[in-house]
Amino acid sequence: MKIKVLSAAPEAMRLLIEETEPAYANALRRVLVADVPKMAIEDVEFHLGPIRAEDGKEYESVSPLFDEMIAHRLGLIPIPTDLGLYNRREGCPNCHGEGCPNCTIIYSVNKRGPGLVTSADLEPIGDAKLRPADQKIPIVKLGDGQAMLVYATAILGDGKDHAKWQSTHGVGYRYYPILKAGTKTLDALDPEVPFCESHMQSTATEEEETLELASDCKTCKKFMDLYKVESVKAGNDPTRIVMEFETDGSLSTKAVLVAALDILAKRFSETATQASALA
Amino acid sequence: MIIPVRCFTCGKVVGSAFPAFVEKTRQGENPAQVLDALGLKRYCCRRMILSHAELIDEVLPFG
Repeated sequence: MKIKVLSAAPEAMRLLIEETEPAYANALRRVLVADVPKMAIEDVEFHLGPIRAEDGKEYESVSPLFDEMIAHRLGLIPIPTDLGLYNRREGCPNCHGEGCPNCTIIYSVNKRGPGLVTSADLEPIGDAKLRPADQKIPIVKLGDGQAMLVYATAILGDGKDHAKWQSTHGVGYRYYPILKAGTKTLDALDPEVPFCESHMQSTATEEEETLELASDCKTCKKFMDLYKVESVKAGNDPTRIVMEFETDGSLSTKAVLVAALDILAKRFSETATQASALA
Repeated sequence: MIIPVRCFTCGKVVGSAFPAFVEKTRQGENPAQVLDALGLKRYCCRRMILSHAELIDEVLPFG
């Protein structure tokens, strides 16, 4: 199996996997979605009762949303994660599940209305680098005389347990399309080739099928003029797979991919050891 | 009520895009181009913004 990165941005990546099978690509997809861990807010403690400001004005700790809703919204905010630093809380060697800087991040939100509470109001206790990368996510709106004082604890988890711990989204893959105009073989994903998603795609994986092009379709028309053909031969190559995914900003695409491949390698070697012990 | 933090279908963060979307479309920009510029390319994320009714101000006094 060979992996080639076709394009990589901090939050989106496109890969070409060669000399492979769909099963390998699907294993990678499943690990990306469900098994790469990240930090997310899990416990939220709300201050109840009146909140007195420095100027002596008294606020009520109420808001238009239920506390449960606010806790849920806090959980969904992407928290910057360093996978080399954090341990799972239940298995943390430093504190044995008590909570320490190597397994938990504590945030506070202290905001008085009127105004919009956003992810920028999440103050990490400790390192300022732990502020959410996206500072503009609305959490709740407070009215006059309303205030919010909240302590939130983020822990490491994975996508199997809750979508807030899912480090990637939009994960998908496709077989590399085969495209032939007359006797000429074309690279369908080359931006120079006018590849029509509607009329040049085939579901065939064994051999190519002949597809008639539509002269009333803009992309097809361009293709017909360029290569002087009325039809194309289209198919799919299941040994070459194009995969794409995005991250939510907690981790970089590179960190996610490396972590996913590590998890896969570990799992396969465990299975291999157990299988060899059988014989 | 208030814009959801993430897309219901794919999980992309869409909450932060809504205030920017409202601001830019009010200035007369083409909504489709604003959504493209905000990086919302899938239709699941685009509908989160397009079909949202911001009613938080209506319930604000009842907190």
